[in-house]
Formats: sequence, structure tokens, C-alpha cells
Amino acid sequence: MTDPFPRRAIARELSRVVNAPVGDVLAEIGDASTASARRIGITGPPGGGKSTLISALAAHRLEKNRDRTVAVLAIDPTSPLSGGSILGDRIRMDAIADLPRLFIRSVPSRGARNGLCDNVVDLMTTLERHRFEEILLETVGIGQAEIDVRELVDTVVLVVPPDAGDSVQAMKAGIIEIADIFVVTKSENPAARQMAAEIRGIVGARKSASPPAVVMTAANGSGIAELSDAIDAHHHARDNGDTAERRRHYHLKALIGREIDAVLSGNGEMARGDLRSSYNRLLQHLRRY
Amino acid sequence: MSLARKRILIAKPGLDGHDVGAKVIALALRDAGADVIYTGLRRTPDYIVRIAVEEDVDMLGLSILSGSHKELVEDVIAKLREADAGDIKVFVGGTIPVEDHEALLKAGVCGVFTSEMKIDSVIGAIDRELAEG
Ligand SMILES: Nc1nc2c(ncn2[C@@H]2O[C@H](COP(=O)(O)OP(=O)(O)O)[C@@H](O)[C@H]2O)c(=O)[nH]1
Ligand SMILES: [Mg+2]
Repeated sequence: MTDPFPRRAIARELSRVVNAPVGDVLAEIGDASTASARRIGITGPPGGGKSTLISALAAHRLEKNRDRTVAVLAIDPTSPLSGGSILGDRIRMDAIADLPRLFIRSVPSRGARNGLCDNVVDLMTTLERHRFEEILLETVGIGQAEIDVRELVDTVVLVVPPDAGDSVQAMKAGIIEIADIFVVTKSENPAARQMAAEIRGIVGARKSASPPAVVMTAANGSGIAELSDAIDAHHHARDNGDTAERRRHYHLKALIGREIDAVLSGNGEMARGDLRSSYNRLLQHLRRY
Repeated sequence: MSLARKRILIAKPGLDGHDVGAKVIALALRDAGADVIYTGLRRTPDYIVRIAVEEDVDMLGLSILSGSHKELVEDVIAKLREADAGDIKVFVGGTIPVEDHEALLKAGVCGVFTSEMKIDSVIGAIDRELAEG
């Protein structure tokens, strides 16, 4: 098999970037041009069918456009007790694991509490440097904390399994704001249609341009073409004018945030005393860097 | 703990249909701080090597109960080298007769762990192997 991209080299670069302090990250990707991939975020509760959906979606999109290259970043939660993780998303991506124009990487969430991982944006930039045209990002969970994913991708697909009563509650509480497309998975379950109707009800009342709610079954691939088309339609309809700038802002904030974390956790003195002097000390420290 | 930030792939090549042992190891490695990727049952050497490369693992554990450990191990190690990933350490676990251990070590594995071994000593051995770099 001849690879359309340097698989081994990309894999190693991702490892360097994920473990590196900010200074080294900048050395590695600091000259990143504005090369930008279509970024599609898939989020939703654990067990909802995100990985299974990504497998079918990637297969469909690679089949439809045979020159396309697609990368998958699948984030799984790190155990807060041991700091280790089981990265299990790949098991569901069996059917696509040998497609030549595809690259899949599993990522532990580590300390991040927002369903992402601290340097997911650096990983995406690394993949973009290698000219992947699409990145599918799987993130964990459903709730206010995941709203960050909105800043990171072009299109947010929210996966809702038919039995997820708490997802409906979360949507009522406002998570619908972040979703561009809803997918009710496991639609052979009779509750799926009702769930889709319920979502359309909630969403229709809240948003002027109602995002689509697709019903799909992983087993027979039904709904995948519809979802793929909805992603394209969303991409073409949205205003992509400020994407590069918003992404750059997010990236800068992420880098500074990590720098601040490093300083605060490495120096107990930093947060002593009154708020103003801690703040000034921290600023000074960051400047020196 | 030296398993923190280590990436380890646990894979099951060959035709046997049990992965209890593989899952026990995977969970124990997670509890020791490692990031563990598990492949599921009955994977081909090509498939396993591609995942090892993409995931840039520090170590690859092959769990084999089928008796065809020699062929499978040699095949995987050869394909890792072909993929310029010969530096990824490989260990074998499962039902491996003692008389085969020597040959497997010669073929390039860094450890052979049989089902009789205590899980703690397996994790300890993996830990030491990765600490050596
Ligand atoms: N019946 C049925 N099961 C599904 C479907 N999609 C996913 N699953 C199953 O749901 C479970 C969780 O799927 P997974 O993709 O790992 O969910 P994730 O945690 O959201 O990534 C697995 O056992 C899947 O086989 C579907 O369309 N129908
Ligand atoms: Mg998953």
C-alpha cells in the first residue's frame, strides 16, 4: 500500500505536539500558514453512537470524493484517578481502518474538563499542515462544558440516542445553541422518531433557521448520505468570512491558557497575597517568557 | 509513575475468540497511568501495524491464545520494520509454552507474559521496559 501522506511522520509529529510545552509547540507549528481544513465536530453522550457514526460518515465522504483526505481525532476521557485512559473509539471504526486516504488518532482528554483535550487545536493545526481536507473531531459528553467545541469546528453535529432523556433536558437548557445538525442514532429503536420529533419541536421554537434533525441507523447506513449532505449544506450556507480569525483567536487563547497553567502549577508563590499583586506577578512572569 | 503518557496498543491477532486476558491487561495498564488502545478480536498483522503506526504507540502487546504465536509475532515485527516503526517495542501474552519463549525473544519481543503470571509483575516488567527507553 502506498500512502498518500507520510503516515509515520505525521503520527510522530502529533505525539511531539501533544506532549510539548508551548515554546516547543510554537517551534513545531509556529509558522503554520492559514491552510485550513473543513472541521466537523461530533459530540453527544457516551455510548450515543458517535464513533460508529464517524466510521460510516468518513467512509461515505471518502467514497464520494476520492481525492479527499480525512483525519479523525477521537477524544476519550482520562481517568481522574490514575491519569490513564482506555481509548476505545477505534474499535467502532474497524470497517474504515485500512482506507488509504484516512488517518485516525485517539487522544486522551488529560486534564481538560470541556470534553476536549488541552491541545486539540495544536493537533488540528498539525493535521492541517499536512493538508488534510477534513477533520472529524469526536468529543465526549453533553452539557454546557462542551460549548468550547463550537469555537473549534465549522459544523457541530450533536448525536442523540433515542433513549437519552437527559439530552433532551440539556437541549432545553440551551445546548441546542451549539448544534448545527442533530442526529438521532439507533433509529431501529421505535423511540427514535419520537425523539427526532421532540428535537424538532424544541429547536423550531428556539431558532429562526431550524437545524436539521437526521435519523440514522448505523447497521444499514440509512441516514448517512442525508447527514453528509446536511454537513455540506451547512458549510455552504454559513458565513465563513471570519473563520480564520476566530480560529486564530481560539488558538492564541489556548496557548496562553496552557502557559498560565504551567506557571501557576509550577510556582506556589504566584497565587499568594492579594489578587492585584498575584495578577501583576503572573503577567510579569509571562512577559519574561 | 513512568507509565504516565505512555501509549500502549493491546492487539489480538489470529483466530482465537477470547479477549478476557487482553482486557485485564488493558485495564491494569490504564490504572497504572498509561493511555491504552485496544483493537478487538481477530486482527490481521497489517491492521495491527497500521494502528501502531498511526497511534504512535510506545509499545505493542500481542495477546495470542491460538498457538500460532511464532508466525504471528514474526509477521508483525517484520511489518513494523517495513513501516519504519521497528523501534516500537513488542511483547506477547497468552498461552505460550515455555519452550517457545526463547525463540520469541530472539524474534525481537521484549517480554513474554503467560496467563499464570501475576498482573502486577506483568505491569512492573512493562514499566521497566519502557523506562529503559
Ligand atoms: N442498534 C444500534 N446500535 C448502535 C448504533 N450505532 C451505535 N450503536 C452501538 O452503540 C454502542 C456505542 O456506540 P459508540 O459508537 O461507541 O458510541 P460513542 O460512545 O458515542 O462513540 C455500541 O455498542 C454500538 O455498536 C445503531 O445505529 N443501532
Ligand atoms: Mg466513541
